[in-house]
Amino acid sequence: MADVFAEFVNGAKQEPPAHPLDQPVATWTEREVLDGAEVEAGVAILRTRGCYWSIREGCAMCGYFNDTVPGGVSTEALLAQWAQVMRHLDGKRYAKIYTSGSFLDPTEVPLDFAAQAMAEMHAAGVEKVLVESLPEFVHARHMDYGAAPALEVAIGLESATPLVLDKCVNKRLKWDGFTRSCANARDAGASVKAYVLLKPPFLNEAQAIDDAVASVERAAPHVDKVSINPVNVQRHTVVERLWKRGEWSAPWLWSVAEVLRRTADCGVRVYSDPTGGGTQRGAHNCGTCDRTLLDGLTAHRLGGGMPAAACDCRGRWKALLAQGGVRRDGAEPHGYRRGFRAGRGF
Amino acid sequence: MEPLAHEGLGRLLELHGRRTPLALGADAGTKLLPGKSLGDGGVLKLGRRKLALPSQPLGRDTAQAPFLALSDDVAVLDGAAAHHPRQLVEMLAAAREEAGWRRLLYAPTVEPAGMPLLAYLGVDLFDSLTAELRGVAGFRLEQGDWIPDAKATAASNRKALAGWLARIRSALEQGRLRELVERTALHNPRVTQLLHHSRDLLATRGARRATGIRAGALSFDHPAVNEWRRRLERFAPPAEGMVLLLLPCSARKPYHWSNSHRRFHRTLRSLNNWLALHVVSVTSPLGLVPRELEMLHPAAHYDVGVTGHWDANEREMFGRQLERLRPEDNYKKAVVHAGSASGMLAELLRERGVEVLETGAERPVSGAGLGALGKACRTALRGVASLSGRDRSCGEATGLAQVQFGKLAAPLLTAPVQGRWPRLRLGELANFSPRIGGFALTVRGAATLAEAGGPVVEATEFRLRGDLFAVGVTGTRGKFRNGDQVAVEQGGEITAAGVARMAPSEMVAMERGLAVEVRNRG
Ligand code: SF4
Ligand SMILES: [Zn+2]
Repeated sequence: MADVFAEFVNGAKQEPPAHPLDQPVATWTEREVLDGAEVEAGVAILRTRGCYWSIREGCAMCGYFNDTVPGGVSTEALLAQWAQVMRHLDGKRYAKIYTSGSFLDPTEVPLDFAAQAMAEMHAAGVEKVLVESLPEFVHARHMDYGAAPALEVAIGLESATPLVLDKCVNKRLKWDGFTRSCANARDAGASVKAYVLLKPPFLNEAQAIDDAVASVERAAPHVDKVSINPVNVQRHTVVERLWKRGEWSAPWLWSVAEVLRRTADCGVRVYSDPTGGGTQRGAHNCGTCDRTLLDGLTAHRLGGGMPAAACDCRGRWKALLAQGGVRRDGAEPHGYRRGFRAGRGF
Repeated sequence: MEPLAHEGLGRLLELHGRRTPLALGADAGTKLLPGKSLGDGGVLKLGRRKLALPSQPLGRDTAQAPFLALSDDVAVLDGAAAHHPRQLVEMLAAAREEAGWRRLLYAPTVEPAGMPLLAYLGVDLFDSLTAELRGVAGFRLEQGDWIPDAKATAASNRKALAGWLARIRSALEQGRLRELVERTALHNPRVTQLLHHSRDLLATRGARRATGIRAGALSFDHPAVNEWRRRLERFAPPAEGMVLLLLPCSARKPYHWSNSHRRFHRTLRSLNNWLALHVVSVTSPLGLVPRELEMLHPAAHYDVGVTGHWDANEREMFGRQLERLRPEDNYKKAVVHAGSASGMLAELLRERGVEVLETGAERPVSGAGLGALGKACRTALRGVASLSGRDRSCGEATGLAQVQFGKLAAPLLTAPVQGRWPRLRLGELANFSPRIGGFALTVRGAATLAEAGGPVVEATEFRLRGDLFAVGVTGTRGKFRNGDQVAVEQGGEITAAGVARMAPSEMVAMERGLAVEVRNRG
């Protein structure tokens, strides 16, 4: 039998639209912590061929392929993008250079281009640079840059539970592969950040929290920090299908806070910056307390205390968790978070 | 596990001392228990018995067949609470084939308002999860609806849900589940859509059950009503060249027992050649009811509020009904004496090129109305060939048999027609039965039908004393539905005739429950 999950993932995908090749996907700045101090980090997403795994199947929640160029992007075009990125990084000490895949995959980001980019950042005074990669590419020979800022490699662990990786995320990642890449990165002098998903498709809210907590605890000894990524609804993905159908909804912000609370003592920094937080497509609560919690998450990420709020939707969240043992999917009744009352506004 | 009653695709099951449909967590002694590890579906508890649930549908697209997750005893319709009505009906249509009859069909987290309909479409098990969350959010369950109530709790809603399920079961037992479904659909768009999309499914696979119809706005789509309208296509009037007489229906059923129809009859029988008048009653939601079909279900068993107002839907329905009756070919002319519906019907008939006489009586049963009726009929009958009582009975028997048995009527009609309507007989093959409302097959009749490819239930060879139970059924032949007349065959011989009380695959699969209600034994 063909793998029904792989078919589901591929069935949800669509050919990405045409994109200009000489422009990065996006650039922006965000507040970050560097050596204990708050700095403004420069962030850029380079437009590339994209993740090799996504070309074959891809992960159930990942819509990065929407931003890729299936035919690939030439080194010249990458250099044209890079010139703009360098302007954006002017005066920044911290840079985050994303692609819609793996920066360390030499077939996606050619090594000579990467080395040149690193050298330019180093020369411009960037002290630390974050790149993302699948574990299979985290190897010293892919990070052999010469002069370069301190490197931080982010690896999408997503979950430490094989069943979740296999049946909810569709990521072929083995625990050994993950720990080996962490060690490789550290041996090459880089620090390691792990991404852990909160509420991959098919899991219910309670299962999602438990799985995220277990994954953080298991990953902690091998990494320097963990970012909790609440699953958000990206276009043309399995998650979007399930969400539109009403079989899954984005996690509650209470759940994000709960994972942080339960992993506070795991020995490494755990924080979350929910993509699309406060919207239907991202982690959200009842609409009344979302802003408070999102601000609390940002403060926590920058070194503050645990996010907190007082709201009566918390009781509803708890009631939903209490059913976690017997709910078969990630859905909840439509309008439940708001208490079935009409939205605010008019 | 014993089926006690059926309606639509739904079933009332006796199950370990409980009855389904039930809601796990709401009905006393029932519960959902969590699985031991992630993805394990857990178990459901019915009293002391535990049934394993299939694992969670991780990585599965629930909109793709096969739709159901199966364990030994339970089939789960994942996504039932979410799927688009059309998709959900498609899943339900496939459910019995995927699940078989001996697995319980569980639809998780559905809204209470959807439960009557899903029970009607075959779901055995629900749960209290959605009702509990509603309680926490401050809503109490009342008649399947949510009422804001600060005092509501998960526990109080579980209790209310148990009451709602009891109501669903008693409706199913009484054959009144359709009514409960229509009532919940009235103010619930999702249920309305589901009901709309399930029309064909119910019409082709639902159990035929002869309970009365108390018609409401949604009864237009009642499977029995639909089927009635379609079956009119197989009907032909007793003889060629008769005069069609359209009369209003009566509150009392069958019509010929009502005061109004007795008075019509008295007026008509005083006319020369009155046997050449073919009386067809006009009614919503059935449309047209020829006299010889009056005793059939549902014509003899429905109730409807007559307002004297006919809307566009009804007009369209009468138009289609007349198309099936083909009055332009089947009758010489028509007399319309149908009160408030007269104008509309006369117009529809004229559109078809039929010569129409209108009595113009607003109150058809009044003295003046009856006078006008007599006069119009006398005029219409002028020059119409006379019809003998015998020929008319033959024609009536043919019309009735064709509506009841379709293609299989031909071998039955080789028998001599005896008696007068309604007490018609087809020789040794069939007698008129008031309970069936038409011809009931004798054992020989059932054998005749069986030979022609009609429905047969094969049973083990034991001495059949009363009804045939599922345990004795070994197989079936021919096509039939729950509610159809069937032959019972034992050891290659037809030994009885009766009415099927289960679907064919169901009576083979089940070990308990009434399979054939035997009416005649050889
Ligand atoms: S989540 Fe990462 S590994 Fe998975 S498809 Fe997206 S980019 Fe590739
Ligand atoms: Zn809130």
